[in-house]
Amino acid sequence: MTASLRRARPLLPPGSPAALHAPLFQNLMARLNAGGRHVVLDLGAASTAMLARLGRSRCYVEIADLAHFGGIDQLNTTETGPALADKAESLLPKRLSDEAIDLVFCWDLPNYLTLNALSALMHAIGRRAGPGALAHALVFYAERDMNERPGRFVPTADDELIDHGAPGAAIAAPRYSPEDLGNGMGHFEIDRARLLSNGMQEFLFRLGS
Amino acid sequence: MFERGKKEDDTIESQGANRTESDKTFGSLRSKVAGRGGDAAVIGRSIQINGDLRGDEDLRIEGDVSGTVELKNSALTIGKEGKVKADVYAKSIAVDGETRGDLYATERVSVHVNARVQGNIIAPKVSIEEGAHFKGSIEMDPAAVEKALGKTTASDTNKPLAERKSVSTPDTGSVPKKTAKDAATNLSPPSGTA
Repeated sequence: MTASLRRARPLLPPGSPAALHAPLFQNLMARLNAGGRHVVLDLGAASTAMLARLGRSRCYVEIADLAHFGGIDQLNTTETGPALADKAESLLPKRLSDEAIDLVFCWDLPNYLTLNALSALMHAIGRRAGPGALAHALVFYAERDMNERPGRFVPTADDELIDHGAPGAAIAAPRYSPEDLGNGMGHFEIDRARLLSNGMQEFLFRLGS
Repeated sequence: MFERGKKEDDTIESQGANRTESDKTFGSLRSKVAGRGGDAAVIGRSIQINGDLRGDEDLRIEGDVSGTVELKNSALTIGKEGKVKADVYAKSIAVDGETRGDLYATERVSVHVNARVQGNIIAPKVSIEEGAHFKGSIEMDPAAVEKALGKTTASDTNKPLAERKSVSTPDTGSVPKKTAKDAATNLSPPSGTA
């Protein structure tokens, strides 16, 4: 009885979005618990829950909040080459540390970037990361449409995910294929993938040497 | 500090040879800066300061401040109207407005809803409310925080502020320190497919 009470999930207010079971995310969180120092880059918005979760480990956390600080529009340009690379670099947080990034949380942001923009961003991130660094992403796969704005994913106590993003109009999802992402994630290569209950594909990428 | 009628040098210390127009107007602003609200001195909405701000009592900023803010034994609140473009050193820092610069606090940094913060946060306790906007980094390793704060509060306190700013080093594409082995060892998932 005691054990079941401990494992009981907190009640969500009526109308709250459902928690999403994302096993690769859970796996990463479990590994953060295992100890050691980690350098984490979060491309999404800062959330109390995520910071509290990362605070259990000895983390150095960089938060880019690309959606709010105009990163998506700035990256989705017709620019290419060094100009786009410089822009991608400028959108990442200034650093206090030059430690290599271990882990990147992309959330659903790849869906909102062209492959060209995504590639520039991930190449910029790759330059800050060491070989073997991991990147986690959620990609619209089954659904044809997505919210016009990126989600705001926060972990529950059980490391499931809840999207607290504001509702908005539906736009066409790019529905990137694994082949698209193979080209669009810079030097990050697909390591594992899972189809989630909400129709999104959960990806874990690994930075090659 | 920041009290009406105190000596000039006690009120605001402005450093650097290149003073801006707003620096030159300190004399006329001093009495306004000194206005007190509650237990903290207040820099009002119409006040603009460009320079280094030092003090030894709690301060609330509702105006625009650029340069450096150092209240190492006191609390700083950046109000909803406040805009601070500075590295800030204080005992505690609460942000309701906008900041651009690194925030160093020996106790706590709180970023409240609708606040907009761009810079790095170094403090033993950090809270960021939902709806706040933050771009930067947060050191969550207590040992690393202690080390970073030690650099800025103990060994650097007698250095000029301009030198102390060098503690924050923007990334310019430097080579990451951690080795591939370090990165792979800590976070590698088990082999096999999902």
